[in-house]
Amino acid sequence: MENENFIEFHNISKIFPGVKALDNISFNIKRGEIHALVGENGAGKSTLINICSGVLTPNDGFIVINGNKVKISNPKAAEDFKIATAFQEVPICPYMSIAQNIFLGPAPVSKFGLLNEKFMNKKTAELLNMFDIRRHPKDRMGKLSISEQSMIQILRVLNTEPYFIILDEPTSSLSYEQKDILFTVLNKIRSERELTVLYVSHRLEEIFEITNRITVLKDGKFITTLNTNETEIDSIINLMVGRNIDKNSMRKKKSIGSVILEAKDISRLGVLENISFKLRKGEILGIAGLQGAGRTELGRAVFGADKIDNGNIYIDGKKVKIKNISQAIKYGIAMISENRRDEGIIPQLSVKANLILVAYTRVSYIGFLINKKINALVNDFISKLNIKVSSSMQKISNLSGGNQQKVIISRWLAKNPRILICDEPTKGIDVGAKSEIHSMIVDLAIKGISVLLISSELPEILSICDRVIVMKKGRITGELTFEEATEEKIMRYATA
Amino acid sequence: MEELSLKKKVTKGWSQFSERGVFIVLILLVVILSILTPNFRRIGNIINIARQISEISISAIGMTYLIIAAEFDLAVGSVYGLAAIVAAIVLRQGFPVILAFLAALAVGVVVGLINGTVTTKLKVPAFIVTLSMLTIVRGFVYGLSGGYSISIFPESANSFFLLGNSIGGVFPIQIIIMIVLFIIAGVILSKTTFGFKIYATGGNKNAAQLTGINTDRVKIYAFIISGLTAAIAGIISLSYLQSVHPSAGIGREMDVIAAVILGGTYLYGGRGTILGTFLGAAIIGIIRNGMVLLSVPAYSQESFIGFIILIAVIVDIWLKREKD
Repeated sequence: MENENFIEFHNISKIFPGVKALDNISFNIKRGEIHALVGENGAGKSTLINICSGVLTPNDGFIVINGNKVKISNPKAAEDFKIATAFQEVPICPYMSIAQNIFLGPAPVSKFGLLNEKFMNKKTAELLNMFDIRRHPKDRMGKLSISEQSMIQILRVLNTEPYFIILDEPTSSLSYEQKDILFTVLNKIRSERELTVLYVSHRLEEIFEITNRITVLKDGKFITTLNTNETEIDSIINLMVGRNIDKNSMRKKKSIGSVILEAKDISRLGVLENISFKLRKGEILGIAGLQGAGRTELGRAVFGADKIDNGNIYIDGKKVKIKNISQAIKYGIAMISENRRDEGIIPQLSVKANLILVAYTRVSYIGFLINKKINALVNDFISKLNIKVSSSMQKISNLSGGNQQKVIISRWLAKNPRILICDEPTKGIDVGAKSEIHSMIVDLAIKGISVLLISSELPEILSICDRVIVMKKGRITGELTFEEATEEKIMRYATA
Repeated sequence: MEELSLKKKVTKGWSQFSERGVFIVLILLVVILSILTPNFRRIGNIINIARQISEISISAIGMTYLIIAAEFDLAVGSVYGLAAIVAAIVLRQGFPVILAFLAALAVGVVVGLINGTVTTKLKVPAFIVTLSMLTIVRGFVYGLSGGYSISIFPESANSFFLLGNSIGGVFPIQIIIMIVLFIIAGVILSKTTFGFKIYATGGNKNAAQLTGINTDRVKIYAFIISGLTAAIAGIISLSYLQSVHPSAGIGREMDVIAAVILGGTYLYGGRGTILGTFLGAAIIGIIRNGMVLLSVPAYSQESFIGFIILIAVIVDIWLKREKD
């Protein structure tokens, strides 16, 4: 008997060290429908995509495809089930042609065992035509614009003639016209051969334009599945974010002083546009927004890690030119990067060495490191920040995420900064260490350090920030005091 | 601090002795060779080994700095040759000895500076840059020497060759130079902020940059040190042989890199010690010496050395994977 559902998820759970990314998820996707998957950053969407495409396997639960219980244990298995995924980060080979990129996986072979380039080019030309992309199949991929590249990525996925495709933020770099073409083609293919689509996006308007049903995830849990034509954007936002957040439990009495840092109209071509804000002494200023809104880029620009094309930064009311990171550090700015593994820890080195990385001049004398001073400093931070280590000589890579983060925070605190930029400071950190880090940040603000808190987690922003600015596509779209701020308001600024 | 018993202290010290792997290999080699050939144990032979490894191991100092900083240098053999040739020419012209030293050292600094600048600023991989430099510099060696050895010097050059002498005719000065350089290099690498920055740069360049470390500058310094130590090795060779052939140092880079890798320095940067490199160079010296004593045919010796290096690198990568 034909089953109405193409794929069913039964009690799927996926646990990463310290986090439950998916918690007992059950829902189904009907054959031939376009099904939206929505949720905040960290709701579990990517994990679910990765499970469907065989990149991850669930710890618990099972998947049913066409009525049969199956295991998608690796990407090859997903391919066998005719499941194809267009990932958000596009892996392309820039020096190969469009046709070669489209046929990257299963390349057609002529009868002599050589690549059948003629067929590849012909097929590619047809696909390009269908999507109205005016490019030759032999054009080099690297010459294409980003939006064309992401279209090619979708072509490549469709070329495998899948039964089920997963599109992860497919429109994030597309123009309006390209988006329309994509939607027309999707609808066409869907009606022609019952293609099932899982459409993952933050762009709620688009979801209401093209999808049949919407599934909402929150904090790794399944919330609900609704028919698109029976609901509206506001109720979806409420479902995505609706939590009871105690905005005051973490808050402590403190005084916010004069303006320490001011950005006036800072721009960086294609990334930041006319960003202006003020940060006061002892204030925690949240920077909210979706992925790709330019928050990390703003942090890096203030920190001197990226160049600013236009605009000025003022510290204590004086205009300063921050050309590089060491200048930023001299002005008392510190930054904790979002990417702890690649830009934070030095994995081969000990906790001790990682901790003195910024303030090594404090523990040295004419270029010689003084062990006694190092140990005093390191042990002081280990006990003050409650860092769990067996010895300060332990390799940092053997610590948990939370303890690694505490070492990195200590690294900067040892330099006595005035301004601390925290980019996703609790990403991938377990709940206990998370709240420790939150109260640590609050305490720092009480001591007079000004904090720029970049975060995708709205509860984090709402519970410790004094003020929030919301970014979208490199611009500031809204500003809220903590009394005004709610998850709904922030999401509206971030998506509107 | 709690009181530790002697036994515990020893155990703890041993477990923190990061060179213990290569140290065990060295001891095993010494034991095996002592049993196989009684000549090996003779003081004269041991001194001979130490003298033989001094050139490779001094050059390996710079290479250790560089590999810890996650770069490497294929041009050390050519720099070694050019430094020796340049010093020899300066001496032959009857210029003061000090000028010969400075000219040879300048060769190392200049080549290192070029390698470092092109690698970091123009973002050309060190492999390509130093491979090109290997040939370019060797070309200079042939050009300057006209293809002939330089071995006739005026009287004024005599004090230069003192470095190649032995104290009391038995203990070569170059061993003392090696030991002194190793102590200085070890202290700089493990006890100074500069050494610390080398580890940080090689361990995670992005993270180091985000803490304000100028990683390009650190790498350029490491390239210069590599050039400098290669040049010192060239000076020692000239003063010992009182002659230099334009092919001097061809293929030397392989022995130097091998000593560093055998000594446990991690191929991709961030980990390694000067003591390890010394032990690595000692192992290469002992294997070569042992094979001569055991009359292994010269051609098989090369294969055997290559084999040992391959095994050492496999073990190094394997150990690293084990821990992660």
